[in-house]
Amino acid sequence: MAKGENSAVSLITVQNINKHFGQFHVINDVSTEFFQGEVVAIVGASGSGKSTFLRMLNRLETHDTGSIVIDGIDLNADLKNIDAVRREVGMVFQSFNLFPHLTVLDNITLAPRRLRNMNRAQAEVVAMELLTKVGLQEQAHKYPHQISGGQAQRVAIARALAMQPKVMLFDEPTSALDPEMIKEVLDVMKDLARSGMTMIVVTHEMGFAREVADRVMFFENGQILSEAPPKEFFDHSPNERIRAFLGQMSSIN
Amino acid sequence: MISANTIFPATWSPQRRSGVTIGFAIVCLFTFLWLLPIPLSWVPEPIGSAAQQFAEGARVTVQLTLVSGLIGIVIGVLAAVAKLSNLAPLRWFGGFYIWVFRGTPLLIQVMFCYYALPFAWQLSEFNSAVLALSLNVGAYNAEAIRAGIQAIHKGQIEAARSLGLSAFQTFRDVIFPQSFRIALPPLVNNFVSLLKDSSLAYVIGVVELSNIGNQVKSASFEPIPVFITTALIYLILTSILTLISGAVERQLDVERN
Repeated sequence: MAKGENSAVSLITVQNINKHFGQFHVINDVSTEFFQGEVVAIVGASGSGKSTFLRMLNRLETHDTGSIVIDGIDLNADLKNIDAVRREVGMVFQSFNLFPHLTVLDNITLAPRRLRNMNRAQAEVVAMELLTKVGLQEQAHKYPHQISGGQAQRVAIARALAMQPKVMLFDEPTSALDPEMIKEVLDVMKDLARSGMTMIVVTHEMGFAREVADRVMFFENGQILSEAPPKEFFDHSPNERIRAFLGQMSSIN
Repeated sequence: MISANTIFPATWSPQRRSGVTIGFAIVCLFTFLWLLPIPLSWVPEPIGSAAQQFAEGARVTVQLTLVSGLIGIVIGVLAAVAKLSNLAPLRWFGGFYIWVFRGTPLLIQVMFCYYALPFAWQLSEFNSAVLALSLNVGAYNAEAIRAGIQAIHKGQIEAARSLGLSAFQTFRDVIFPQSFRIALPPLVNNFVSLLKDSSLAYVIGVVELSNIGNQVKSASFEPIPVFITTALIYLILTSILTLISGAVERQLDVERN
């Protein structure tokens, strides 16, 4: 199995999970493992179940059967476990989901203040460091509607990082962005990958997957059809479906 | 209504303008209540000699409205949360409360709280009126707040929960502040209606503005000047309330500022 260079410590173990939306079998007996420091890109057509799978990793979607264990915590119906997992797992959404009634700074400090017993001053120091890291220290006191989509997504990344998560989930983080803003978000994500963060990224950005990912996971019909290092996946995939998918993607880009 | 944007220096921020407007309107309200007897005493009979009474009645009306209005907001939030709860009994209770208090006349509710409840515990006229008015406005507020909560995008809840915030923290820090802002215009309407509805406290003997008007009319047999005066005082009070609430709305509206 493909691996980040740091170590082979397993962080997330997924075993035989299934999920139905009514009659529709969205996730069909999926098992896999994610390692510390690893960057995994999840690709596939819309409706293949990749976003649902990602959202199951912090239980925004429940699984009907099977098990998901994150950093030793079993992600089941136990609310304590769910909150414990969510504090360790950062999530970035396609539509940013910043809190519109709070300033950029308050968006970032809210969770650490409530959950990490930090006072406002401590939390703001950490938040300003993160904002500097994503290049937005100037925007700290603005409201979300006053900044661009690319900036909003970088704030959303900083907000998730403020909880010092062990793994970051990205659900199509650039799909709602104008083309000229995609790069600034991808650059922040590349920096994050270089810093050793464990990242699981659902994306249509094949260039990003090829350049940054340690492993590319291809979803189809609720199953992982293939997992491979990017070079193998993009250049030497034996699978007809994957080659067709890649052909479609490159004709778009 | 005077637009706040035309009377302030152009350099003032919208926040500062609405803040000043709120302060100004509150000062207006108290000055009005305090100084009301003076202009009223200049008015010819039968108003002039009853100036003190009218002023006292206006104070009681404002007290009734402010106390019931504030309790009504708390009740409205609780009932809205109950009605949206995952727990069926809580949902039924919230729905039942809203159904009863929106579906029966306020006059009956006021009389019920004064004449029917005392078997359990004796409330004063004022407190009975506060109980009935706050339960009534609470039911209307609940619907406004429920609509506000339901208008919040699901992604907001997901973002808050995915950070690890509990359901309660998510409600307090993320959902409620946004939905309250959405619910504010209908809440303000309810508040202004409440000021007028508080006149129904008259039937259980609360000595508020309408009650005074009626007393003065009975003593003087001059309904026209008495009721015009009473209505004018209500009109001034509702205008000040509208000024305050409009400014509060602008204060909370970060996205337009």
